[in-house]
Order: sequence, then structure tokens, then C-alpha cells
Amino acid sequence: MGVADARAMHPGLDVIEAEPEADRRLLESLADWCDRYTPLVALCGEDGLFLDITGCVHLFGGEQAMLDEVLERLYSQGFRARAGLASTPGMAWAAARFLRPAPIEPGAEAPALSGLPPAALRLEPPACKGLESLGLRTVGALMETPRGPLVRRFGKLPVMRLDQALGRLEEAVSPRLPVAPLSVERRLAEPVVLEDDIERLLLLLSATLKADLERRDEGARLLQLALFRVDGAVHRLTVGASRPLREPALILKLFREKLKALGGVDADYGFEMVRLSALEAAPFAAEQVDLAGESKADDAGLALFADRVRARLGDRSILQPVMVESHIPERAVAFLPFTGVIENVGRTDEGHLARGMERPVRLFPHPEPVEVMAEIPEGPPARFRWRRASYRVAGAEGPERIAPEWWQEREEGETRDYYRVEDDRGRRYWLYREGFYDEGETPPRWFMQGVFA
Amino acid sequence: MPCAGKLRGSRVRCRSGWSRLRCAGSASAGAGIVLRRQGAADGTAGLLPTGAGGLDAALGGGLPLAALVEIHGRETRDAGAVAGFALAMVALARRQATVKAPLLWVTAGETFPEAGSPYAPGILHRFGLPPAALLVAQGRRLEDALWVAEEAAALGALSAVLLEVRGHTPKLDLTATRRLHRRTQAAGRPLYLLRHAGEPAPTAAPVRLVVSAAPAAKRQILSGTLAGSIGPPAFTVAVSRSRLGIPATFTLEWNDDERAFDERRSDPGGAQDHGALVSAAADGTYPESAAGAGLALRGAA
Repeated sequence: MGVADARAMHPGLDVIEAEPEADRRLLESLADWCDRYTPLVALCGEDGLFLDITGCVHLFGGEQAMLDEVLERLYSQGFRARAGLASTPGMAWAAARFLRPAPIEPGAEAPALSGLPPAALRLEPPACKGLESLGLRTVGALMETPRGPLVRRFGKLPVMRLDQALGRLEEAVSPRLPVAPLSVERRLAEPVVLEDDIERLLLLLSATLKADLERRDEGARLLQLALFRVDGAVHRLTVGASRPLREPALILKLFREKLKALGGVDADYGFEMVRLSALEAAPFAAEQVDLAGESKADDAGLALFADRVRARLGDRSILQPVMVESHIPERAVAFLPFTGVIENVGRTDEGHLARGMERPVRLFPHPEPVEVMAEIPEGPPARFRWRRASYRVAGAEGPERIAPEWWQEREEGETRDYYRVEDDRGRRYWLYREGFYDEGETPPRWFMQGVFA
Repeated sequence: MPCAGKLRGSRVRCRSGWSRLRCAGSASAGAGIVLRRQGAADGTAGLLPTGAGGLDAALGGGLPLAALVEIHGRETRDAGAVAGFALAMVALARRQATVKAPLLWVTAGETFPEAGSPYAPGILHRFGLPPAALLVAQGRRLEDALWVAEEAAALGALSAVLLEVRGHTPKLDLTATRRLHRRTQAAGRPLYLLRHAGEPAPTAAPVRLVVSAAPAAKRQILSGTLAGSIGPPAFTVAVSRSRLGIPATFTLEWNDDERAFDERRSDPGGAQDHGALVSAAADGTYPESAAGAGLALRGAA
């Protein structure tokens, strides 16, 4: 029925545009909220969520109690939700849509399913219509039909769905978020609002987490703090550590930086649940410090400092230069995130570099165009203009020719002739000319690449 | 540490017991020791001589090791010389240090795109600081960089901190620099505040130098000098604030081979007179440190 027809029947009708994106966002936020019941939450189509509650039921006082709680809390938030609870995803799907909300015992799938229409098997409407046109109006009828002709006529899907619902075929539900190897949580009777309270809770949680990590001989490399707000919003703060971490005080320090960087979290009515998960763990090497407690502790201090900087300012805020095998100056150094360990990676021929050609102490990653006047075309510059100021050259050394790396695929660029240039005030620059005078249509261009000490 | 024990004895005698000693990696004078009184580094033990006699005399022995040291560049294009001078000081301290701790270079905003990013091959070539000894921290805002510098200043695991800012920086006022200075004092490590193209503002730094590039001498070859060549880097260093309060200007030359500063005989207007400077260095006899001090002071007066 079109909008015009509907309006003709009911003139007072409101028309609201469908917003699949917004619906999706709502479903995602609901999935976030459902995280409190199990870490394994998956989206199901456009209107459903799968919660794998294996091993979580006892925390909520049994299956029926859990089902009731989920429905009740969703209802109080204004959602009319339906739920089913069964041993297989397929059966739970059918139960949520066609049965009253009660857990279905393992093994009771077949009787529960038999009275339902084929749509309960997660089949598309055309397939359901086809089955019904053959008189297969219930799943029970489908179960009794010989499989061969069914597969030939409708493909493998109906049979596969049936097997999945009955538990004859494994079906995996892929969670939308990675499941943490370790997590500890605390549900609060009274929501907390103050940052101090959150920090205190974090200390308690990390103390518990520490015990778990010690048992596994591990430390956390990536930690996530999930704050579940009363109104259903979930804040997730993630911090990384450059070396495996256990100490509650250190964990608190990292999260404190993160909170500062965000300018605090919006507590609104408060948080009713706090969860700390170790998303990544690594073997923890217990270290013995020397009698003075010196060198090793210094290293650890530096690693912690780097972690705090990263937690507050982002992953690429503290970097370490690493030499790369390349002649092109801007490619010869890569900046990698500092991992807290001072070690030499990349090129090992530093001694050779130390004695080699002179290089500037500061480099412009993007060479800046310069207007140059030279006495002879292929010679060093006599004057140049850079950043709207003109310079008179007092001395020049060069050229040092650096050719493009032809062995690289899709290598572009031309041969560069580098000159060390000193202006009349004594400032030393690194200029290069790209290209040759006698070749090609475009004249060579000059660039400023760096400044010397 | 027999040396520390002996020193402690003498300190206790003269200071009646409230001095304490701590072993620090990059301390001066080969002893590797920073003397502290009430948490702050004390006496001439905390000075790093630049090796240029005149400058050291004007600074009262050298640049302080446990203090905020301000190094100004008049324009952004002097950034190479300013950074070069600071790196040279780090290299000098590193040569004497027993533990080779890394250096942290902190900056904010558009400083690197404007003045150039640190280039590890050049720093290694010129100052012998390997890439592994260099850490670079970048914040978006000046507050971020200040926070990083403050945290780093209190860290014993770094050999030095370079905080680089550009232009007018009202946030880096007396209070902010005093915080930095206090933390630096407690850690016994220098923090070099590099300022480009900014008006000199009041800060808590006990030492302020204005550094710019000086024309380099020609390269030395067997038959004299090589015409048209550019020799080792030279710096014009003006002491604008120091403990002794003597304003003076010196021209220093960085010696690549020895990784040390030599003082060049300074003559008035030398920065402009290219020829005179070349001939001064051309005879190959660099002035002795002691002689350099008198000459430089006379030149500056």
C-alpha cells in the first residue's frame, strides 16, 4: 500500500521515513547493553541479538530467572522484546518469535518445533511459500518428509536449518566484539558517579585480575574498562601496555591518563556495572632487581611513562626512529611507536652511516619547493628563495647524486642532485635539484629538504 | 663505589649531615655523581662544561646539569643551529655517562613541519647519538607537550629532555617553567627548552642562551683549506642570562672527530666578515681554552 492510499483511508496518518542506519545503531547499543549478561553477543539480522549464555546462567539465578530479567529490564527501557532460550541458536530464534518466553530443555527441540510454521526455520518468505504450497505447513510435516526430494526442490537450506535447530549440525555464533581471555566485573547496588569511586572500583577489580593473571603466569598487554551506565550506554576505555602488566596501581595510572584525555566520562545518572578485561595477555617475566634497584627499574619506569603518554595522547604520540634500508633521505628513517625497549632494529651498519656522507639534523618530510638562481645550469645555487625570503649563498658543496630506487615497483621521481649550501649568515641547508636540464620538457625543479646544525 | 663513599665523608663533615648522594647516569666530571642538598642538585658537580673556555667562564663553569636551560633561536630558520647546539650538549654529557640513556625530544603542533623533524642519520653522523637513543614525543597542543615534558623531566631513565616550542607561547610562563625547573632539579637531568622565533619572556630558567648559526670554516686539506667547502658546524652563542650575569657572545665550532666544542677566536662583526673567520681557522691553531676566555670576554665587552 502506498502512502497516498493509506492517507486516503486515515487522513491523520503520520509518515516517518525508515532509517535503517539509526535502527542499526540502536541495535548495536542494545548489544552493548547486553554485554552485561555475556561477553558473547552477536547481531542477528536487523532486529535480533544472539546471546551465548553458556556458563553465565548461574550468575543470574537460573535460566528462567535470567530470561525474565532480560525481558523485564528491556521493557522498563521501553522495548517490546521477545526472547527464547534453547540449546541451539536455531531453536532459540524460533522460540523467541513463535513461542512464549520459557527455556526449552535440551532434547525437547523436536516437539517444540513440530507445531511451528516453516518460517520458524529462518527461511525466506518465497521458500516458506513454496513449502506451504506443497502442504508442508508445519516443521513437523517437514521432519517427516523424505529429505532427497526436499533438497532437490528447495536446495540444502531448509534441511540444514532444520538440522541446526535440532542440534544435529553445529552452528557457530560469531560475537561482535572479541572475547577477552580474562575479565572481572562488579555489579553495583547503587550507581556510582564520581571519578574517585570509579578509580577505587578499578583498583579492586585490578586486584582480582592480578590474582587471575598470577595464576596463569601472565600479564595484561591490552586492558579494557567497560562502564555500563544506568540508561544503557556503555563506555569502553582501552589502554595498551608495552610490557605485561599486573600491578593495580600501574593499571590505575594508565586509566587515569585515559580518563584525563577524555576529560572524564559522562556519568549522567551513574554506572551500575564496571568490568575490567584483559583483552591481550602475555607471559609475565618476574624480574629480580639488583641490590640498588637501579637499571632495570629505570627501564620499567620508561616503559610505564611511554604507556601513559600513549594512553593520553594516542598511539603515535611517542615514537622512535628506526633506520630503513633506502637511499632516498625521507625514506631512510621510519618512526615506529616506542615499545619501551631500547634496542636496535632495522639497519645495523650505523658505524658506516656515522662516517658516511653528511646528513642534516632536521629534515622536512615533504621537501619544499625553492626558486633557485645558479651561475651555470648544472651548478650549485647562487641565490635562492624559500618561504618568501631570499638567501644569498656563500658556499656550496656537492652535488651528491641520489637516483630513484628503480627496483621498487611503481617508483616515481627523478634523479636528485643534493647540495649542502651555506647562506651569508652561516645557516646551512640541504637543497636538491630534481631532473636534468637537457632531458624532458619540464625544467628541473629545486627543493629544500633539510637544515644542518 | 669507593669514590662515592669518600665524597660522602667529606660532605657530611662540611654540611653537617643533610646532604645525600645519589648515583646518576649522566652526571658530570666523570665521577657520575650528582650532589644533592634538600633534593636539589648542588655545587659545581652539577655543571657540564661545554669545553669552550670563554663560554664556560661566562657561565661559571658550564651549563647546569640539573636545571631548565633555555636556548633561543631568533627565527625558525635557525632551528638547525638551535637543535644542533642542544644535541651537542647531550652528546657531551653522553660521552661522560656510564649508562647510555636515551634522549626525549618533545614538541607540539606544527613545530616539526615548520622547523623540520629530527633526522636520525644526521644526528648520528654529526653528534654520534644513535637512533635508539632518540625518542620523539608529539602532542597536538602545547599543554600536551608540557605535560609530557613535566612527566619526563622527573624521569631518571632519560639522559635529557628537549622541549621545543615555536612562536609566542603565553602558556609557557613563569609558573610553568618553574614547575619544569623544579622537576628537573629533582631528577638531576637537564631539560633544554628550545624556543624559536619567540619574544624572550620571563621564565624560571637560570640560564638562557641565544644560539644562531655562524659561518663555517673551510675544510682542511693537506695543502691548506679547500676553497668553496663547508667545514664543521659553527654556532654563535650569546649568553643572555646566567648565574654570573655576564652578557657575552662566543663563536663555537663543533669538532666532529673529538665530539667536542672548540672556541673560535671571536672578533667584532665576525659573523658578517666571512674572510676573517676563515683565516682565523685556517692557520689550524685553535686557541687554547684559557686564552680563549680572556679574548672572548674582551670581545663581548
